[in-house]
Amino acid sequence: MFELFTNMVKEEWRVHSTMFGSLSFALFPVMIFAIAFMGSFLIPLIQSTLPAGNLTLIVHGTYLMLGIMVGGFGLLGNEVMNRRFGQASLLAYSSRSLPLSEKFIFANFVIKDTVYYFFLWVLPFGLGYVLASPYIGVPPGDALLLLLTLTLSFLFGLCGVFFLSAVYIRSRPALLLILVALCAGVAGLVLMTGVNPVLLFPPLLLTSAFSWANFLISCGVLALLFGIAILLFNPEPVGSEKRFKDSFAPLMRRFSFLPNPPLATKDSLDLYRSGSLVGQTIFSFLLPLAVIWFFLSLLGPFLPPHGLLFLVAVTTGVIGSTMYTWVTMFDSFGPYGCLPVAVSTLIASKLTTFAILQVIPAAFIAVVALLSGEAACLFPAVVLGICISFYAAGIMAWLCGLSPNVLVYDVKVLFVFLILVGIVLAIFTAIAFANPYFAFSAVILVIPTWLMIRRAKVRWDSVDPGGF
Amino acid sequence: MEVVLETKDLTKNYGEVIAVSKVSLRVEKSALFGLLGPNGSGKTTMIKMLTGQTSLTGGSATVLGIDVTRDPIGVRRQVGIIPEQETPPSFLTAIEYLKFVAAVRNIPDIETKADWWFDFLDFADKKNVLCKDLSRGTRQKLMFTQAFIHEPALALIDEPLINFDPIMQDVVKDYLSGYVRKGRTIFISTHILEVAEEICSGFAILHKGKLLHTGPVAELTGRNEHLPSFFLSLVRKDRNV
Ligand SMILES: Nc1ncnc2c1ncn2[C@@H]1O[C@H](COP(=O)(O)OP(=O)(O)OP(=O)(O)O)[C@@H](O)[C@H]1O
Ligand SMILES: [Mg+2]
Repeated sequence: MFELFTNMVKEEWRVHSTMFGSLSFALFPVMIFAIAFMGSFLIPLIQSTLPAGNLTLIVHGTYLMLGIMVGGFGLLGNEVMNRRFGQASLLAYSSRSLPLSEKFIFANFVIKDTVYYFFLWVLPFGLGYVLASPYIGVPPGDALLLLLTLTLSFLFGLCGVFFLSAVYIRSRPALLLILVALCAGVAGLVLMTGVNPVLLFPPLLLTSAFSWANFLISCGVLALLFGIAILLFNPEPVGSEKRFKDSFAPLMRRFSFLPNPPLATKDSLDLYRSGSLVGQTIFSFLLPLAVIWFFLSLLGPFLPPHGLLFLVAVTTGVIGSTMYTWVTMFDSFGPYGCLPVAVSTLIASKLTTFAILQVIPAAFIAVVALLSGEAACLFPAVVLGICISFYAAGIMAWLCGLSPNVLVYDVKVLFVFLILVGIVLAIFTAIAFANPYFAFSAVILVIPTWLMIRRAKVRWDSVDPGGF
Repeated sequence: MEVVLETKDLTKNYGEVIAVSKVSLRVEKSALFGLLGPNGSGKTTMIKMLTGQTSLTGGSATVLGIDVTRDPIGVRRQVGIIPEQETPPSFLTAIEYLKFVAAVRNIPDIETKADWWFDFLDFADKKNVLCKDLSRGTRQKLMFTQAFIHEPALALIDEPLINFDPIMQDVVKDYLSGYVRKGRTIFISTHILEVAEEICSGFAILHKGKLLHTGPVAELTGRNEHLPSFFLSLVRKDRNV
């Protein structure tokens, strides 16, 4: 039965390597490794301004967030099994003709994805740090421990969200109940002990003091979450015909102010009916951001005034830009091939839908500003976050056209993306730290964004759509 | 006669694979033209090039007077297309998909037209069902409707009869024959040689991307030959060289 798994791994490899060549894909982890390796040399520098523990904290927070962002398998379940997934028909779909249970196929799919993420993101990063450790005076044992705890962080995010999203698909009230219980538990803990709950996060406890008991309990929790999520997975019964009242025309009238009403209408129906609007917002947006907010809040004392709010705004901007992948996820160019629609028109319409979705990050930043008593900085923070989000999405459109989900794994693409976004993040975070109102200067990003989108249209019109 | 579709040395390579090699074809107005050929001979690739869905490696193609390389969207605006594989978008209902197509193509009075098609192809009961939940044949009906609802001067169809039941095949055959009688043109690819012989006026045979033969069906009938046997002997001969 291991065959299904290995073939899924091969398939995933080919999906990427046929899009942009095996070498580019194979170099991806090498690049993550290199970034971590070189980044490690900055640690002594950073530690002069930040106490050591805080850096560990942020790195764990980032990996937890990464896990959360990719863990929404529960939402994808039926798409994967029914071959509705954007670009390719996957093995998971055709395996249905084999004598294998759907839960088994799906479990294989999830494990395959997890293994991929592990080898592409977690392992190379950890190895980079491990190899750099002798040069920066960190005992190699500590570095290896970090690799382990980062992996755990990532898996906690992934399994946790896999579990929650599986519950969400089964029963929304149940999810609400669990979330309320979770919040109440955390709040109770904070009230009783007065510590930031982040400090009780098992992987962090392990970094400060490794214990086998703690480690085994962590693994047990992960396995439990994963197992329940798989058990909850309930393949859509075949033969159920979903019917809807015709809402195309009325919706299109409402969208008539947009440049391309029919495409925007279709996108919004896709997002809404596939359940990805609410699901993705919760699992790929609100949850990771709430977590990172908790983690960042520990840095508060070391940041300039209002610094936390602007850090959250910038992070929200970056996460907000990934909404461009939501709007392109369920669509391939195929069905448009028989209509007079150019790829550039499609990109423009996806960006329009993206722009509408930016209400969500804007609202999130506003809520954070209000909750943290920074109402005075609300506007500059929202402007900064949203401008960064548009800028990053513009780069994505230029680099990846309609397939950002696949093309991120092209080293060249990721490299250019990281450089272009990284520079802007550094500049505008510094500016906002200097004076909150300077953050308004981020509107200048409109210019590169506009240029990028213009180039995206020309570039992707001139290549064959589809790819593989 | 007016020529609606013309290719000169049309060629498409996918890397090493030569999918279509120097094909020169002409299709006249009001023809029902059949593109025949074994699996992998390049039929789908031809149709994709003719409708601007994939770029040409070499040669040229003009469809309804428009150069497909210069203005692929212009070609797609004029013609109707049924692709080989594509299905209508998952999360729209059948009627919503037709309204979407109508909005993109600026087709007036869609409600009435759609109802006519729902009746004609006998799937009115599926009007409000999500496309992903439609049966394969019903999806094909929807794709068929989408290609003809704006009554294009030229329709290009990859396997028109696939997935249809015998009754529907009959309805569709009649529709196609009637459509060209009104002075419009149809270009189909098919494996069903008997049907091609029955309804097509002209045909071409592709093998391994090369054009083996093109001409009117009447030419064969005149020689008292049948299309299926002609096709088989020609392709087998080419396979042996
Ligand atoms: N996107 C692609 N990339 C690489 N090769 C391709 C691609 N599409 C088609 N081919 C190759 O081009 C050749 C022609 O394929 P095409 O689909 O045009 O054949 P066909 O005549 O439509 O076959 P069938 O009757 O099976 O539908 C085949 O050898 C095929 O493998
Ligand atoms: Mg074909």
